[in-house]
Amino acid sequence: MNMREMIDPERVLIRDSTDIVRARAVARQVANQIGFTLADQTRLATAVSELTRNIVQYAGEGVCEIADASGEEEIRLRIIVEDNGPGIDDIDRAMKDGYSTGGGLGVGLPGTRRLMDDFAIESSPGCTRVSIALVRRRV
Amino acid sequence: MIIPILRLGKILLTSIQQELTDADVLQLQSDLLRKVSEIEALGVIIDITALEVVDSFMARVINDTAGMARLLGAEIVICGVQPYVAMSLVEMGRDLIGADCVFNLDQGLKLLEARIAVRGDAILSLEGDEYARNDRP
Amino acid sequence: MTTNSLAPIANLLQQHRVAICDEWLNDIMRIWEHSHAGLVDKEEVSRQANDFLKELAVFFNSHSGEAPAEISTNSPFGKIACELSIERAKKGFKPADTAQYIITLKNVLTRHFLRTYSETPVDLALYLRVMNDMLDRISLLTFEMYVETRERIIAQQSLSLSELSTPIILLWNNVLLLPLVGVIDTVRARQFTERLLEAITRYEANVTIIDVTGVPVFDTSVARHFMKVIDAAQLLGSRIVMTGISPEGAQTLTKLGINFSNIISRATLRSGLAEALLLVGRRIELIGGVRP
Repeated sequence: MNMREMIDPERVLIRDSTDIVRARAVARQVANQIGFTLADQTRLATAVSELTRNIVQYAGEGVCEIADASGEEEIRLRIIVEDNGPGIDDIDRAMKDGYSTGGGLGVGLPGTRRLMDDFAIESSPGCTRVSIALVRRRV
Repeated sequence: MIIPILRLGKILLTSIQQELTDADVLQLQSDLLRKVSEIEALGVIIDITALEVVDSFMARVINDTAGMARLLGAEIVICGVQPYVAMSLVEMGRDLIGADCVFNLDQGLKLLEARIAVRGDAILSLEGDEYARNDRP
Repeated sequence: MTTNSLAPIANLLQQHRVAICDEWLNDIMRIWEHSHAGLVDKEEVSRQANDFLKELAVFFNSHSGEAPAEISTNSPFGKIACELSIERAKKGFKPADTAQYIITLKNVLTRHFLRTYSETPVDLALYLRVMNDMLDRISLLTFEMYVETRERIIAQQSLSLSELSTPIILLWNNVLLLPLVGVIDTVRARQFTERLLEAITRYEANVTIIDVTGVPVFDTSVARHFMKVIDAAQLLGSRIVMTGISPEGAQTLTKLGINFSNIISRATLRSGLAEALLLVGRRIELIGGVRP
């Protein structure tokens, strides 16, 4: 009944800014394989870019996991970005536009949330984990 | 990686042909600004046709560069923003890129020439400029 | 020693099937012909009713009535029920009319049970309970199938609507027109935005006219989409000319804080067209007289 082949989750280690470029290329490639449009591939690549840059800027090292979580009715790409950095003090504030402690535009997290369908963040000193997903109905 | 910056009279032209790391982008920014100051450029075109992703960092650098170039006396134009890049940018937040955008180099040059033509120092782009900084002793 | 305490029901269904079927059909046709004249094929309904009663007899023959029977979409009942409710849903029957089908049968059977088993009230009570329970669950199943079918129909319709409803027209060199008609939801807005931005880049359209005369509701979510489209188009190098905004639309856009520096708006498509042409250095002119 279900003839789709699931693609194995991809894990990209994030240590410096070249890994950001690599992570978003992988996200784009996986999104393309499971049938997302170019527009959605770009959304995903942009979101991965934002989240992995946070790792490079604030945590130094982390992991970006990109997984096909599609079902019968929908295609779904789930991305989890995780690090063991100092954590985010005030998540509510970090989710507001224009708030940045790293000299950025302060749209990284709220902007990513607007790009994605699902967005969840949990953070404590020693562990920050952002989970995002883009979901589209199969046509 | 070094990204070439071409000169067309008083206009500088740079085209980003591949995905850049953050360090590359910042390098390009300082190279470009140095060159603007060196030749007292009146206009700058940045072509990003080949960029498939522009995140908020890249957008900020582009914006900053535009602002800095203006402070150095040059008009600036971005060309070749891809449709999905534009879409992602406006979904993330409005006004991430504040510079003027056009479709291609040709239109970029025309726009700059029109802008420069109404400036008081436009004469410098027509006459030979023997006093440009790099010629000074 | 009876092997099956419900066998009498099966017998009754077999012996009186013709009578039960006639009564049932009479009752149901009276209800349906009133509300769905012309939609029901009497022979078809009669065939389905017969099949249904046969299956019901088979069921009571093989069932003790101790444990509730599993009625799934895969059982013979389920199949008949599915067939019925899918057909009704497609023909546009109301849910209540579909439910009437089983309820009517229940009434008919109750009448027959009362007549046949009035001498043995204990048996009668058991038979009524089992029959009611059984038909209730079939009823639930048909209802579920009915709703599912309707939902599928609605999803298909909205898909085909969104595909055909937003053409992007090359009006003149470097001028595009997007005439929007109908209600705009998030999915549709995303679709036309993506297609429009692609078209703007492909045709290097310096001006894009978006005509919203045919958009009945211009609420904040629609307005937000338009602001995104305008901003994105500007990033590509195109200007948007909006035409046909209603007074409500104007109020909503202003309240949301639209950036007026990059929007051109004209009352009608007619003046929007003139404006767009001017922006690409062209003009419509009177040439005097009318061409033969």
